[in-house]
Amino acid sequence: MMHVLAALDTSSSARGVLDTALHVGRLTGTTVVAVHVRTGAAEPVDMIEARCEEEGVALRVLSGDPGPILIKALGGPEVAAAVIGGCARPTPTVAGACRVTHAILERTNTPVVVTPQARGTRGEIHRLLLPLEGSDVSSRAVLDQLVPLITADVELEVLHVFTPDTVPAMLDQPAYSLDTLGKEFLSRHCPGADRIALRGGGVVDQVARVSVDDQVDLIVLTWSQSSSPRHAQVVRGVLEGSSMPVLLLPVQPPADSPADTAAVHSTITLVDR
Amino acid sequence: MIGATFEAIALRWEGAAVADLGVDTSDLRERLETLSAAGVHVVLVGDGPPEETNRHLSAGPQGPGTLHLCSMQGTALLDVTDVRGGKAGAAPVDTTGPTSVRPLRALGAPDRMAAFLEDRGITGTLILIIDCTAGSATGSEGAGQRGLGEVFPRAVVVSVGGAPVVPEDGVVAPRGGPEHVLSLLDEQLTRRAEHRVPQIDRDPAWTVPLPDDRDHERMAEALAALCNGSSGTRGSRGEVGPDAAPLFVVNGVYAADGHLLPGPVWTGFDCTDAVRPPSVRRLLDLRGGTLYRFGDDSGALRSLRFASVAKPRAMALRVEGPEASLEPGDSVRPPAATSTFRSERTGDRFGATTGDHHSGIAVAARDRITTTDGLRIVERLAAWTAVRTGVARLDEAYEQLTEVEAQGFDRALADHREAWARRWTDAEVTIDGDPEAELAARFAVFHLLSAASDHGESAVGARGMTGSGYAGHVFWDADVFVLPALAAIRPAAARSMLEYRIRRLPAAHAAARALGRDGARFPWESAGDGSDVTPHQVIGPDGTPVDIATGPQEEHIVADVAWAATHYASWTGDAGFLAGPGRPLLVDTARYWASRIETDGDGSGHIRGVVGPDEYHVDVADNAYTNVMARWNLRQGASLLAEDGASDEASRWLDLAASLYDGWDPATQRYEQFHGYFDLEPLLMSEVGTPPIAVDVLLGAERVSGSQLIKQADVLMAHQLVPEALEAGSLRSCLDYYEPRTAHGSSLSPAVSATLLARAGEPERALALFRLAARLDLDNTTGATADGLHLATMGGVWQALAFGFLGLAADEETLVIRPTLPDAWHALTLSFRYVGQPVRVRAEADHVTVTCASPLPVDVDGQGASRCPSGTTSFERAGLRHANECA
Repeated sequence: MMHVLAALDTSSSARGVLDTALHVGRLTGTTVVAVHVRTGAAEPVDMIEARCEEEGVALRVLSGDPGPILIKALGGPEVAAAVIGGCARPTPTVAGACRVTHAILERTNTPVVVTPQARGTRGEIHRLLLPLEGSDVSSRAVLDQLVPLITADVELEVLHVFTPDTVPAMLDQPAYSLDTLGKEFLSRHCPGADRIALRGGGVVDQVARVSVDDQVDLIVLTWSQSSSPRHAQVVRGVLEGSSMPVLLLPVQPPADSPADTAAVHSTITLVDR
Repeated sequence: MIGATFEAIALRWEGAAVADLGVDTSDLRERLETLSAAGVHVVLVGDGPPEETNRHLSAGPQGPGTLHLCSMQGTALLDVTDVRGGKAGAAPVDTTGPTSVRPLRALGAPDRMAAFLEDRGITGTLILIIDCTAGSATGSEGAGQRGLGEVFPRAVVVSVGGAPVVPEDGVVAPRGGPEHVLSLLDEQLTRRAEHRVPQIDRDPAWTVPLPDDRDHERMAEALAALCNGSSGTRGSRGEVGPDAAPLFVVNGVYAADGHLLPGPVWTGFDCTDAVRPPSVRRLLDLRGGTLYRFGDDSGALRSLRFASVAKPRAMALRVEGPEASLEPGDSVRPPAATSTFRSERTGDRFGATTGDHHSGIAVAARDRITTTDGLRIVERLAAWTAVRTGVARLDEAYEQLTEVEAQGFDRALADHREAWARRWTDAEVTIDGDPEAELAARFAVFHLLSAASDHGESAVGARGMTGSGYAGHVFWDADVFVLPALAAIRPAAARSMLEYRIRRLPAAHAAARALGRDGARFPWESAGDGSDVTPHQVIGPDGTPVDIATGPQEEHIVADVAWAATHYASWTGDAGFLAGPGRPLLVDTARYWASRIETDGDGSGHIRGVVGPDEYHVDVADNAYTNVMARWNLRQGASLLAEDGASDEASRWLDLAASLYDGWDPATQRYEQFHGYFDLEPLLMSEVGTPPIAVDVLLGAERVSGSQLIKQADVLMAHQLVPEALEAGSLRSCLDYYEPRTAHGSSLSPAVSATLLARAGEPERALALFRLAARLDLDNTTGATADGLHLATMGGVWQALAFGFLGLAADEETLVIRPTLPDAWHALTLSFRYVGQPVRVRAEADHVTVTCASPLPVDVDGQGASRCPSGTTSFERAGLRHANECA
């Protein structure tokens, strides 16, 4: 039976991870199973057990090195998605994401929801924000991973931030032209979306701004699982700055995929369908 | 058999039609008469005089297809068709009085037959040549022997005689002699009787291949929109899928929300998914005005569709395909996203309406379905009616449908093709040496000719009737981009565009009054009732509403409308227009400017708080384009008033015009785009990127508005429209200054720069921008072609050819011609109408050829006005490019 796997540690963020996992479970129409990796025989797990029992969630307690163990657990065929904390075990050497989270994100092929530090989702997940750069790779990930994953009735808003590569050649009357560009973008990359926001500026900034302005509950990013600056700039920036959970869909980028956007500061126009 | 339907047959008499001159011709005669009744034109080409052929054949065809007789070498061309019924003698065809100005050739009879067919839109592969040897058909029999293949280029050639010594490409050689001729004719009769899908002349110089992938489906729909000035049908596939946006609209019929009302869709049919044809190829036939679909495999659907320009309420399609995969389904279907669709079925007729009491469109259609040997053929005839106010009546649509049914598909198609052939006679574009530019230019002209009706009023929206983009709303795109082209290639359509403005004068008067001003203030964006429908706000970068300035401030459109009226009158020679119905367009607009101008204490006149063509800078003072046009408007208006004796008001207008600040800076010999422009950040496009770029998105509106970067030609637009109203010699300095600052972030811009660069003697730079403009929709440069074609760009393309590369201008009644051609263009030929007569101008490096129907004063290359007699006159050129400046 498919389930959402919640990776719980003993930090204060565990509560948020479990709450988020429950909402993701309802989003995906699956149950939730929690897992904790004990790093030492003496490590207390009673608080985790109590929380899981309170929510009626099954708990598996494993022992060993959390990174490899969780990666293996996430890889199970019955795992629809995983939820992990943004900072399960903070280290001073990696800002934002911790070592374990980092390792999981780089290696698992399972969609992973990363919760903000010390916080979970605000509540039920009704509105999703999907930033798309307009590549076939990302569009395919939405079609192949996101669409089958979500069974609940949600609103899907796409965000496209123009880059020097994608800025329109011409905009005659923006009120009309942007509407057309938005419709065309959705038709090509995400036909099932409810609306699109077209913006200019830094991608990370705009993701943060739109997610707050439009009160989204979950940000969905496609990610190439490479921590190189070229591929991970947007993901890292969103994870570090987001006040809401982020669902990462792993994809394999083509060799010539565009770099994440540099700071592009410009006018922004929101187009609502 | 050949497997194609032909519109004309050229049949060699001796050796093909008859083995010898003594044979019985009754079987042949019967078939020729039946072909004539089916609408097929036939010409019998003999070795001897056509009278001898006529005596031998003694045919009495009744039409509508004609039967002509001639000899290969002679000049006599006999038409033996008797459309009045009864047998009449053969009538010589008199071709001494051309109604067009195609080059008068020393034409032999076969060539005159080719011209006859071309006048009916029958060319190339629509013609079947049946000859006795392939060599005689293609002219390869020997030196000096001209074959039918040369007379009818690209025709399908069948040789029923002996095999050629050398096999000829493109020649079918089944032999069989006269017996096989009868079989070939029988095949044509059978295909006609079975209502098979006609073909088109797949001339690559006249056909536009459409993108076939689903990602570009909506773009293809716009490219292939079939419009006839009154209605528009997007080129959607019949088997509409999720990527499609089919649309049928009627010119000027807006819904209550101010958007063009979507009408019932008449082009749909059903395909069985299980056997969905894998290959789809479609061609837009520019010459014939049809959309043709075919495929390479046996399961492919074939279809041909048209919206008649001969009978604007009529539409038709035929589609054929495997019985297992093709179902007609409902012949009229609801448009997307409408709640007002109502339909009914009566026997084999289907009717539907959209709209409500505000406005409505009714479409009636009937399908005829036949199945033969597993092949299903659907023929659909349709007709529409519409009301701009009130409820559309389906019974009127049925009445129209009855008329179409009486005519029949084949006759309707023949009339439609002939009507398009007539249109192209006055709109020829030929660019020798650059087939890509030529086809793109023809594509632009095709859609320009389709955009407006010859009658009544025409609201030509920014995207015409090719899509829902811009809601069908009318901008200055119509007045200064589209109208100048139509005034030359379709004057009646230009007149109907002006009628739209004339009928909206009451709203323009009301708008002026509402602002406490006089005269007529036309809105920036206009729809059904002439009120301003410009959106008021758009959501800004921080999610809050931002006021749109164009509605309240982009007032140059007031003068643009006046300019359009004047240009139409001077170009067409319609002397009564400005004295009559067009007068308010000039006088009332001038009156508006007179009340708009603020006079400062020093007596200088100013127009503050405006937006010029460059919309990156809003709320500016003394935009040069606006002020120059306002001044021109005042002077033109004053001239009319003075003629009527209203000298006081005229005098005041002239004083105001003289006082109006226009930004002219004598020190730099250029016009300042608006007050304070020269003090802005001196940013050039070379520091930002290669145009075209929407730099307001790239850099931000605030940064751009504080810089000298401009969206499109602004000062230069004045040079385009009223060069005589500007300082002499200022074009060069303004081009040098403003072009490097132009982002071309508007689709209207590149063609304007192309025109001016050509005029300024820089044809190579002009050509680069011309190509960008000409291919704008074909290449989907803006990313927005899916929502409709950029008609203003198309108008600009034609203007670049005419007023840029050919250097045409009207100087009183003299036609000024000052060509400047890029190296890649060996010759440029345009045909058009000027002061009421057809004119054809062909420019080459060393001479200019002018063909006109009646004497015409022309000035070629500044050599002075000379009277060009009727016919064709060649003018030698100096052989140098001219740095022509009209200002």
